[in-house]
Parts: sequence; C-alpha cells; structure tokens
Amino acid sequence: MAKNLEKLGVTFETDVLIVGGGLAGNNAAIAALEKGARALIADKSSLYRCGAIAGGVDHFMAYLGTDTWDTQEAYLEWVGRIARGVVNLSVQNAVFCKELDAAIERMDRIGCTLKQPDGNFFRTQSLGQPGPYFINFNGKQLKPLLAKEALRLGAEVLEKCSISGLLTDGENVTGAVGFNIRNGNFYIIKAKAIVLATGNTNRLFENPSGLPFNTWQCPANTGAAQTMAYEVGAKLANMEFVRITVVPRGFSAAGLNALTGMGGKFVNASGEEFMSRYHPSGNRSPRYKLVEGVMKELYEGRGPVYIDCRHLSQSDLDHLKRTLGYDKDTLPDFIEQKGVDLGKDLLEIMPSEGMQAGPSEVCGSGILIDEKTASTAPGLFAAGDCADQMRCVHICTTGGYLAGKMAAEFAMGSGKEPKLRLPQIRELRKKAFAPMRTSGTISYRKVEDTLRKMLWQNAGPARNERSLQVALEKLEELSQCFKEIRAKNYHELMRVHETHQILEVAKMMCTAALARKETRFGVYHHRTDYPEVDEEYEGQIVLWKTEQGMKTSFKKLDYDKIPLS
Amino acid sequence: MPPVIDLQKCIGCGNCDRHCPLDVIHFDGVRNIPYVKYPDECWHCGSCRLDCPVEAITIRFGPEMLYL
Repeated sequence: MAKNLEKLGVTFETDVLIVGGGLAGNNAAIAALEKGARALIADKSSLYRCGAIAGGVDHFMAYLGTDTWDTQEAYLEWVGRIARGVVNLSVQNAVFCKELDAAIERMDRIGCTLKQPDGNFFRTQSLGQPGPYFINFNGKQLKPLLAKEALRLGAEVLEKCSISGLLTDGENVTGAVGFNIRNGNFYIIKAKAIVLATGNTNRLFENPSGLPFNTWQCPANTGAAQTMAYEVGAKLANMEFVRITVVPRGFSAAGLNALTGMGGKFVNASGEEFMSRYHPSGNRSPRYKLVEGVMKELYEGRGPVYIDCRHLSQSDLDHLKRTLGYDKDTLPDFIEQKGVDLGKDLLEIMPSEGMQAGPSEVCGSGILIDEKTASTAPGLFAAGDCADQMRCVHICTTGGYLAGKMAAEFAMGSGKEPKLRLPQIRELRKKAFAPMRTSGTISYRKVEDTLRKMLWQNAGPARNERSLQVALEKLEELSQCFKEIRAKNYHELMRVHETHQILEVAKMMCTAALARKETRFGVYHHRTDYPEVDEEYEGQIVLWKTEQGMKTSFKKLDYDKIPLS
Repeated sequence: MPPVIDLQKCIGCGNCDRHCPLDVIHFDGVRNIPYVKYPDECWHCGSCRLDCPVEAITIRFGPEMLYL
C-alpha cells in the first residue's frame, strides 16, 4: 500500500489536516497543537500571508462588560435581531461567546494585542450595533504572528498547495489530495480529522470595476471548502445570500468600518445625508442597508455618492489617517494617488462586487456546523467564512480555535487508523490534472467572465424564480465547457480548479435562493416575486448532494430563548 | 496595476515571491530577481511591500482604478 501510494504522489500523515491557513485555519492549528495533536496546514499561499487578513485587519467585535449593551446577553439578543432567520444562537454562543475571553488573551500573548499603546481599547460603533462593539486595533502583523505561533508549536505546513479533493472510507473523511501550484507535485495526506477553512467565495459576480481580482475579500478564496464538503455529502446552509458592500470607487478595499465608525457620513450629489431615508440608524445602519441606500441613490440618478469625513475633529482625522491602512494596507496609497485628502475632500464610493458570504457580520454562509463546529460528515469540521455560523474577524478567531480543539479531540479519541483507498486517489489524481491534458483551448478566464456576468444578471441583487432557473440552466451548460478548459501550467491549473469551485457554489446559491420564497437582508436576497420578509422563513435553507442531484430542506430556528450557559 | 519592484534596492531574498497570496510574484532563479508574472491577478493587499526587508516595493494603482 505505502509503495503504491508513493508511486502516485508525495505522502503525508497527520492527526488534524487544516485546509486553508488564514485567520480561522491558523487558530485551528494552534488549538489542535495545544491539545497535543499533530497538525498539518495546507494553503495555496504561504502561512505568513494567506487568506482574507493577509495584509492586515483593524477591527474585532467583542462585548467587554462595561455597560448594559456590553454583555453576552445583550450581544446575543442583538445577534438574534440583526441576523434573524439565518443565525443559530446556540451555535453562536459556542463558537464565539464561550471562546471570547481566551481569544483576547491569546492575541495579547502572541504579540498582537487588541489594545492601544496606552493600554485601553479603542472602540467604535457601526453596522447597526447597539453600542461600540468594534475594537479598533493594529492587525497588520496578525497573520505572520499567528503563523509563528503555529510553527513554534510544531505545525507542519504545506505551502503553495491547492487541495483538490477529500478522501473518505465511505463513513469518515480520511484525508485529502492536492497539488503544488508551481511544480505540479501531487500530495496525498492521510488525516484522522479535517478542518476546512478556505473562506468565502469571490470572483463569483461581475466586478463593477471590471477587474475580477479587485475584490473586497481575498480573490484566492473561491469556495474550495464548500465544494469539497458538498462532494462528500456534508450539508450546507445560508448559501443563497449575495453579500455586497460599499467600497471606494475603483478599489474594492475594506475600510468602510473605519470610516463610518469614526463618524463618516454618506452623502449624494446634492450633499444630502441620505442614509436616514433608508434606516433609522442612518450612517451606522447594517451593511445591507448601506448597500441598498448607495445603490438606490446611484440608480435613481442622485449619484455620485461619497463618504464625507470633513467634519471630523483633527484628533479623529489623525486617528483615521494613522489606522486606515490597518484594514487594507494599500488603501491610504489609493486615496493619496487619487489626490483625496479626507479632511478636505469627499471620497467617492460605489457598491462592491457580489460574493458568497454571510449576510451579516455575525453570521456566516457555508458548511452547516453544530456547537462543536462539526459538519454532518463524520470527521469533517469547518471554520471561518466557509462555515454557516462564522464570519468576520471575531468569530473566525474564536470559532477557528474551537474547530481545532474539536478536531483534535475527534482525532485522538477515534483510535481508528484512517484507511486510504487507492482507486479513489487514482481517480482524484486523474481529475486534478485533466485540464493539463485536454485538447481544448478555452481559458478559465473566459468561462469565469461569462459566469460572473450571467450570475449578476440572473441571481444578483434582484432575482426571481424564472431568473434563478435560467441561471441554473446556464450554469449547467457552462459546466459542459469544462473538459475544454486548458491549463498551460500549474498556476493556471489552480485557477481552473477555482473556476470549477466558483461554478459549483453558484449552483448552490441559485438552488438555495429558489427555495427561500421571501426577501431577507434587502439586496442580499431580494426576490422580486416575493418582495417582503416572511416570518415563515425564520430559519435556514439547508442543501446537500443526493444521487438525484442537489436537495434542499428548511430548518426552523428558535429566537425565543437566549442561550447563556 | 500591481507592485513595482525597484531592482536597484532588491536583495533577492524571495519574500515577495513566497508570501504573495495570489501567486502573482515569481522569482527568476537565473537572474536572482523577483518579477510580477500575473499582474492582472493582483489583490493589492500589500503583503509583498509589508514583508520586503529593504523597502524595494511600491504599490502603484493604474488609471483603470484611479479614474473609474
């Protein structure tokens, strides 16, 4: 067996395999190693700078017990209100609340404190929060510091590795296969448990800037976890939402929280502060409302739209200028190269591209997880933006750590040695390299560009039963092109795999969107044929693979009781 | 438009090639210099600049982003 395996590729063996080394995956590795398990992290990039916070991050949501709005109960009450109909409060309590204190302590310990140099927390309020839940901090070095901690604890790392499929013995997951994106080495990894942590799905919808890699979240995140989990029978939820945000015109950069949190105002062409027309919280409305406001102002002819920071005090402006690059390292360069001075000029904004991601900062979209971050496939755990209850820096940090702990417990408790199946590995190997061998001549980029335009048209911020059905038909037709997509090298091979994942996620999104016959989170799921919020849909659309194709069911959620234990 | 690498300053350490999350920067082992192989796939995250030990990298946004 071992010799036969070695003929097929380079082999590895571990207790917990973590696919995706970003914020959640890296925290998962630290937890698994602290539990005494072996951990191997595979990522397409390097552990130091991979995932959505590669170049930094500046906000961490938390309650700190300073006031009535600042408690676990108040936080969960708000979460149940703002993410109603998709958020599972019992899972939120487990993946966030119970892990919060340890996470704040851990960040301090690894050298990326959430505090300011004066020892205090700098907190801001935005996106519909009842109080200043966002802790503003300098997270420019958070990713390399997490990487160093995992390596110090003995993590094994497989860099420039694209994981292309999961292995199963028919019951449990037993490992994964992948390839090196530079030299094409084929990797076979045997693992007792797996944590999937590859983020949300980008490059899915047409980008208003015309540049598909100019995305708000990391464009290397293309739904690998969602696709692979689906393949092995795990259930997914909250996949219907098209998340959109507001970005500086021309640059799909993070940084909105920083601007609105400091008191930046949204204004239209005539200088009117328009957000109060859309939501009582005005400039500090939930994100989906900000997007709706900006879109309506633009499409109804009241654009251009701007963020106005000119009224801020000098000390607030100084803080803003000093910290704006924490969330997106290059945003200050962009603003400067545009010739904009935030103290004197307006900053023009626009809606971002759409993506598959949670409809709120406090709820995710993706693999359905329970209170232990376990998926419905035995041995398979999910963390970060690819899990249906995790989103944003705070939950990816706490929930990632929990996933590592739970996966390590599973791995060490199972006592079972995973058995690999050679035919399965041979099949996945053949599939992985097929785009290098095809006689076809289509580039991945052409297929992706078509998909993005088509999906925005039919399943974007306005969708109905017919348009979603049309999208599904066209996605099926696009799938047929796949055997003709050619990869000229292993970098391109990675991109072809990503295109495949994007396409599979698009199918999940349209199928789930068809099942939710209501409108929820405004433009994030706006069914023009069902334009109202319907209380009957306070729950999740769950989807999974069957022999007859994709199936969906509805899972009702309970908001009567706030779990505090 | 992606990062611009000042080859006068570059010491050939390979950090930018290794850390780029999008596999945009590659290393020419013969000439011992990094180069931007896939400029259209840059995310403008700034990782290459953050991790360059000699500040040889600047980020220059193109007209397609600045004047949209």
